[in-house]
Amino acid sequence: MRLEHIVMHNLRRRKGRAIFLVVGLLIGVATVVTLISLTDALGMRAQHELEKFGANIIITPHSEQMALSYGGVQLAGVNLVAEELQQSSLVNIDSIPNRRNIAMIAPKVLGAIDVKGQRAMLMGVDPEAEFKLKRWWSIAGRHVQQGPELVVGDTVARRFNLTMGDTLEIAGQSFTVVGLLDKTGSQDDHLLITPLPVAQEVLGKQGLVSMVEIAALCHDCPVADMVNQLQQVLPGVDVQAVQQVVKTRMHALGQFRMLAWGVAVTVVIIGALLVFVTMMGAISERTREIGIFRAIGYRRRHVLHLVLMEAAIVSAVAGVLGYLTGVLATLIALPLLDGGEIHWQWNPTLAVAAVFAAVLVGLLASLQPALRASRLEPNEALRAL
Amino acid sequence: MNLINLKQVTKRYINGADCVTALQEISIDVDEGTFLGIMGPSGSGKSTLLSALGGLTSPSSGTVNIDGIDVYGLSHEKQADFRREYLGFIFQSHNLIPYLNALENVMLPLVVTKLSSTEKRQRASSMLEKVGLPDRMLHLPQQLSGGEQERVAIARSLVNNPPLLLADEPTGSLDSATSLQVMNLLAELHQGGQTIVMVTHNRENLEWVDRTVYLRDGLIEKDTVDGSIGTFPQAM
Repeated sequence: MRLEHIVMHNLRRRKGRAIFLVVGLLIGVATVVTLISLTDALGMRAQHELEKFGANIIITPHSEQMALSYGGVQLAGVNLVAEELQQSSLVNIDSIPNRRNIAMIAPKVLGAIDVKGQRAMLMGVDPEAEFKLKRWWSIAGRHVQQGPELVVGDTVARRFNLTMGDTLEIAGQSFTVVGLLDKTGSQDDHLLITPLPVAQEVLGKQGLVSMVEIAALCHDCPVADMVNQLQQVLPGVDVQAVQQVVKTRMHALGQFRMLAWGVAVTVVIIGALLVFVTMMGAISERTREIGIFRAIGYRRRHVLHLVLMEAAIVSAVAGVLGYLTGVLATLIALPLLDGGEIHWQWNPTLAVAAVFAAVLVGLLASLQPALRASRLEPNEALRAL
Repeated sequence: MNLINLKQVTKRYINGADCVTALQEISIDVDEGTFLGIMGPSGSGKSTLLSALGGLTSPSSGTVNIDGIDVYGLSHEKQADFRREYLGFIFQSHNLIPYLNALENVMLPLVVTKLSSTEKRQRASSMLEKVGLPDRMLHLPQQLSGGEQERVAIARSLVNNPPLLLADEPTGSLDSATSLQVMNLLAELHQGGQTIVMVTHNRENLEWVDRTVYLRDGLIEKDTVDGSIGTFPQAM
């Protein structure tokens, strides 16, 4: 028989208290695990979406002039010379070292056209890339495929009173409206979108593109590095990383993370107090027993060992069960919070940390009761001799 | 050979402004192999004297030497070691651990020794056989009668082969037939050379002792040999 044997017997005998402690700590651990897992999963989801669908690098022709427009308002009197990129040069993008991190390349050509006596903007796109990249676009109908087809922005559709199936004369060609783009609140509302070759022909810009949007899978690569690499293979162009969206989302996640940690710390403190109060009660209940141990020759450290080992076992069980409960709660809560596919990954560090933290909190909260028990004078404890 | 040597032992309990003197300059020498009975009325200091002998209550003054060791000159941890190696305690209310069976209760003092598990088990079971409980080893205390519990307590007190056995009212909670069994067991141990100090209220138990110390108001009133009760007051 060893000290562990006595601890296990005592836990079995006082099942109610042991279960109460386990449940109390379990709730704490589960809450912390859930909050951390949710934060991580939401962060991964945001990262995934940004990487997969959002353009985070924009390539435009080099210009010495500063853009004098903001929020769609362009200053009068500024003469902007539209320059173009050679479409053939885009193959160089495949030669950069981080080419595997490129998820999507969406070239487009832009130009002004006359429609029913008014000026409008025509945008030629690679339908395959563009409509995947602009996942937030909501289109009534379908997106363009090939030939003279149009997806029409909300503002343009209203101005020209266009509906599905309508035809529109542009530069002597008859275009069919195959899709209506729901209002986006952006400059996209002013666009007439058609396949790239068609637009190039209409605008007289064969072999040219006005800009290229690139979606980079940059979880483990810095966008800044890719910008430099693109700049090298595409001389005479401006390559810029779009960071605003990422930063906004990350800032929101950062705030959620801080809130999560705040709640986690509060829950841990409550858990520690629960353990402390319960263990103090347990020591009072076991005073006589401790007196017996001391009278028959147990050292103070043996008593300390008995109490702390009990706390460690209970805390470890609570840690394991709390982690599993937290993971389960995360898997249940994630679809409700985020919708769509679940981006949860098993995090071994969190699993180990949850159990370790539970044991640490249990031991720290039990230290004072354990010291009190070990300092009991055997005669006081026994009140028998 | 002298096993116990108490010199001028005084114990005062101070509670606020009140000061109660439980023992007043008690000096006793007890030879090895003695069965010493301690008697006296309630509050005479019997239990305090036993506690002082057991390294459980440090005296306010004086020294307690057992087997040449100044018990209260030891550190707290060494006192615990001393209790484990030199003393066996038999408590009035048995004081068994309720969630451990008889065998495990007897093994308790051995848990913190370096003996192997097998040896711990062998020693405990042979001790239970010695006190007549070979078939009760796996019973919990609440499954045992009062007499059986007392015998388990005696087995636990002896499992470390202590030179000195301290018994506090060992028959206090037992009926007369069971008391007789327990006293016979202690007598057997004594005949085997065990030194025993027993506090008792029961004058009949003095038939087994070979020396009796009578206490009153913290002082030794009488110290007799062979358990002769003589003219000791009846009201105890």
